[in-house]
Amino acid sequence: MNKVIEITDLHKSYGDKTAVDGLSFSVREGELFAFLGVNGAGKSTTINILVGVLRPDSGSVIVLGHPVADKMAILPSIGIVFQQSVLDKRLSVYDNIYYRALLYGLSRDEFAQNLDFLSSRLELRDILKRPLGKLSGGQRRKVDLVRALIHQPKILILDEPTTGLDPLTRKLVWGLLEDLRKKEKLTVILTTHYMEEASIADYVALIDQGKMVAEGTPIELKERYAGDFLRAYRYQADFLSLLGEQRIEYKKIKQGIEIKFRNTKMAMNFLTKHSDYIEDAEIVKGTMDDVFLCVTGKELSEQ
Amino acid sequence: MKRAVQSFSALFRRNLKLYFKDPMTFFVSLITPIILLVLFITFLRSNYEQTILRIIGDFTIEKKLLDGFTGGWLFSSVLATSCITVSFCSGVMIVDKINNADTDFLVTPVPRYLLQLSYCLANLVSTLIVCFALLSIGLIYLAIVGFYLTLADVLLVIVDVLLTSAFASMLANLIWSFTRSQGVNSGICTLVSALYGFICGAYMPIASMGEGVQNFTALLPGTYSTVLFRRYFLEGALKEMEGSLPLPLVEGIRDGFDVNFYFFGMEVPMYASYLIVAGAAILMLLLFVLVSILQGRRTRK
Repeated sequence: MNKVIEITDLHKSYGDKTAVDGLSFSVREGELFAFLGVNGAGKSTTINILVGVLRPDSGSVIVLGHPVADKMAILPSIGIVFQQSVLDKRLSVYDNIYYRALLYGLSRDEFAQNLDFLSSRLELRDILKRPLGKLSGGQRRKVDLVRALIHQPKILILDEPTTGLDPLTRKLVWGLLEDLRKKEKLTVILTTHYMEEASIADYVALIDQGKMVAEGTPIELKERYAGDFLRAYRYQADFLSLLGEQRIEYKKIKQGIEIKFRNTKMAMNFLTKHSDYIEDAEIVKGTMDDVFLCVTGKELSEQ
Repeated sequence: MKRAVQSFSALFRRNLKLYFKDPMTFFVSLITPIILLVLFITFLRSNYEQTILRIIGDFTIEKKLLDGFTGGWLFSSVLATSCITVSFCSGVMIVDKINNADTDFLVTPVPRYLLQLSYCLANLVSTLIVCFALLSIGLIYLAIVGFYLTLADVLLVIVDVLLTSAFASMLANLIWSFTRSQGVNSGICTLVSALYGFICGAYMPIASMGEGVQNFTALLPGTYSTVLFRRYFLEGALKEMEGSLPLPLVEGIRDGFDVNFYFFGMEVPMYASYLIVAGAAILMLLLFVLVSILQGRRTRK
């Protein structure tokens, strides 16, 4: 796959505060790339540099083969959903999208066709004439997404996109994005502090205090940093004494106990060895939250 | 080129629609100068009538002519200030900047100067709509109390509204180019609303001010716009007065009510006033375009 974004040694500071500190990464065509980090980690600053809203202090940013300073070359191919909706609450959904579609040179027919597709996929057809300000938070977020996709961009940037969305809307949104990735090779860059969203990414970059602290596929990261957990739900009465004797640490969970292992093989070996004691158990991979905790010492779920 | 026109048209329509989508915005923009006019008529009209009667002494003047003159003076004051204050208080650019809505346009392939110009043109058109609505109300008022304007006067008032509003829109949008602060915007709006009427000679005749203040006001383009409004609203009534009053008295009224205006002792001809107002509008436009282009080349630090 081609690299659509290449960032090398990016630095950005606001006065004394360093927002981005030597960040380097690349994003491939059609990839779902997740930027995972706590609030203030530097995710939004990086995104704003990527779309030319902010100027980097140093470093190289290449988007679709063009330096980021060449905004007129890259912006027709980028769609962005901002952290906070920036559309006009007093205008109708239709007007909001129509006026912005014209800025990308769309003809009326192209606009009508794209709007029809997106509004039907996101179930917005019935509310196109309603003022944006009268819609629910979830509906507004879907309109933000339509606005970002109306010109059929090659790269979609989602800055904390599904904050406050109900599960059904989240499913609709991700269903559409999955289809566009498959059919149109849409590249999606996602900034989030939701583990669940980062888990579905092809590639995850963990960012903390403006620095890349870990990167890889979710599975790689989990294997490298989160380990595996053996969750025993039913076991012999003397199993806990055995763990005590062998000085194996465990944590009580809701319906049993949880023992952490470095990898799946070690967990399976332990389970096989102690199968006489354990009646009901499962081996699960650690979450991205565990990865983040291990790498940064911070809990994502606290955000 | 076609793409640029399409983008500019879309932005302009969006900005204008956004301004007029809230009927209260238009209503408040219009009602404020109307309230000012009512206050002027209620509290100041008799003062100005007394001033004229003092100037003419033992001579007499028709009530309708007196009302037509004072009405024209008061309304020209309101119109002169409104062209400026409506511009400064109806900007979509600053509202977008405060709400960060402009960021959505900065990530589109539209040059920044087109975005800025669209804000400016929408601001100008919304100001003109309010000012022309106000002008209509003013002309109806004058028709009731005493109408002495010719068609040419009305057309030249319209030209002055266009020039003054253009100057104000360029200036307001130029200032907004440098700020994203709600506080700064409110401060500017309040300052302009409170100060402008005085420093451009709209609230009281410049001729009645001290020499230093007179010299200061002579340096401001807004003053010449006010003088033009005075001229076209009052010249008809003054001509009528010439039929029943000695010329030196009428000339005294012209001087006392800023129909004649002097720049450091030299009378300023009308064409010069036009050139100053038009020149100021063009200068603001050039500055605005220059700043927009320079800002477009630089992303935010």
